[in-house]
Amino acid sequence: MTPIVEVAGVTVRFGGLVALSDVSFAVRPGEIIGLIGPNGAGKTTLFSALVGLNRPDAGAIALDGQRIDGLRPHRIARLGMTKTFQNTALFPAMTLLDNVVTAAAVRLPLGAARALARDCLEKVGLGAAADTDIDDLTFPQKALGEVARSLATAPKVLLLDEVMAALTPNEMDAVVATLRELRDREGITLVIVEHHMRAIMRISERILALNFGQLIASGTPAEVSRDPQVVTAYLGQPDASHA
Amino acid sequence: MMRSLLIIAAVACVALLLGAVLQPRGYAVRVVCLILLAASLGQCWNIVGGLANQVSLGHAAFFGIGAYTSTMLQIKFGLSPWAGLPIGMLFAALVSVLLSIPTMRLKGPYFSLATLAFGEACRIVATAATGLTGGPQGVSVPFAGNSWLLLQFRGAGAYVPVFVGLFVVVCVAFTLLANGRLGYMLRAIRENEDAAEVTGINTLGVRLAGGAISAALTAATGTMFAQFTFFIDPDIVFSATSISIRAALIAILGGVGTLAGPIVGALVIVPLEELLSAYLSNKAAGIAPLIFGLILIGIVVWRPSGLVSLVTQRRGRT
Repeated sequence: MTPIVEVAGVTVRFGGLVALSDVSFAVRPGEIIGLIGPNGAGKTTLFSALVGLNRPDAGAIALDGQRIDGLRPHRIARLGMTKTFQNTALFPAMTLLDNVVTAAAVRLPLGAARALARDCLEKVGLGAAADTDIDDLTFPQKALGEVARSLATAPKVLLLDEVMAALTPNEMDAVVATLRELRDREGITLVIVEHHMRAIMRISERILALNFGQLIASGTPAEVSRDPQVVTAYLGQPDASHA
Repeated sequence: MMRSLLIIAAVACVALLLGAVLQPRGYAVRVVCLILLAASLGQCWNIVGGLANQVSLGHAAFFGIGAYTSTMLQIKFGLSPWAGLPIGMLFAALVSVLLSIPTMRLKGPYFSLATLAFGEACRIVATAATGLTGGPQGVSVPFAGNSWLLLQFRGAGAYVPVFVGLFVVVCVAFTLLANGRLGYMLRAIRENEDAAEVTGINTLGVRLAGGAISAALTAATGTMFAQFTFFIDPDIVFSATSISIRAALIAILGGVGTLAGPIVGALVIVPLEELLSAYLSNKAAGIAPLIFGLILIGIVVWRPSGLVSLVTQRRGRT
């Protein structure tokens, strides 16, 4: 099967700092990929490069066979790839529903956008919170709210930046189930950055590990958690892998 | 949305009523006209300044373009201001798009400073281009007696329905924008530009569209102003303080991004201006800008969401 996302030799520099160095990988349609790595490894930078918020200094990115590096983020979003923001970036002066409506209204008239927005909120289990102000949402609700807003763009590929932070184990199970359902029912390819090992190992079918801007491992959760480089760089000690 | 339209209708009715009962050549009806013009100006600014939080301090550029386009077309070619009006609007929209090329990527105070400089540049060009604008001594709109065709009347009273029309058009445009798709997108840009882009909003395109609409309506207000005062010069219609900053002040004082904001702002600012010029102009001529400066500081510190927030506490609504 042709990859839905293909990253070839992507390098991103901030001044003298090399945030991503010659990163290459491919994602198959409908896959759930976990992206791990210690703080500062380049996970968020990689997401930003994928959606066009920063432009790679070298390399190529293709979505569904089409080159997208260098395109502006709204073009990439309309082609089918978007992301959620770490620490969440909902529009604070709007209700949750209006946040999602905004994303839907980009390609739909307002009436249809409202209907789609309610639908997206239901999918992540936030139907009852539609008319809540953003400040009154809990952190997990905000994270799921962003997932709902992303869904309103009709993504083929959704990049999730720490949507499960600050969740209790029960909440986390619920979110994992929700995300699986999105993939199973709508065929959305998911790439997930998560610090919580139990969650990422459970949900991911394949794991990519970054360290100091370089891809150091790729494979099934079991393979990656045994990879000596990953163990040293990220998990610290071999024991932590079965947490 | 319904509530917004009711507010517009109510204000329009009160203004029309005042226009009907007040002495048509008197001072009071003149103040009513000035309030309508000021509210319209503030509302034009509010489209981009309020919805997208692009604080322009250069709207005098568009106001002056509107005033000069219709006036010069009338003087040189005998064209009715009704024809000059849309030409001025188109011209202003075009200029706003051109201005966006260098300013589009600027944020916050940098955008404000660039627009302020642009407005001043327009004033200087208008002063120097004597062939085009009549230069620093200004131009007068030739008076040919009361005429709807030439949009000119003796006494302020007859202008009330005209300015009510302008006010309604500008306010309805704001309401439709605020409640429509473009309004959602402009607000999203105000709240978080990166997140707006990633959800598929063409932030540059949306800002360009909002800016062009705002500029065109500001030009229309400028044309109306010229028809009302019968005399314009570059220092009046391209003024940084009495047009650009005043437009922002009216909207900010009343409540940025709300329909009622510029209306409330104009109702406070215009009478205050009249009082100040009546009682203080011969004693302390420079005091008015100082007082407006203090009001602006006060409102930004104590009521950043404006006077209307004293009544409505919810944010980001119209």
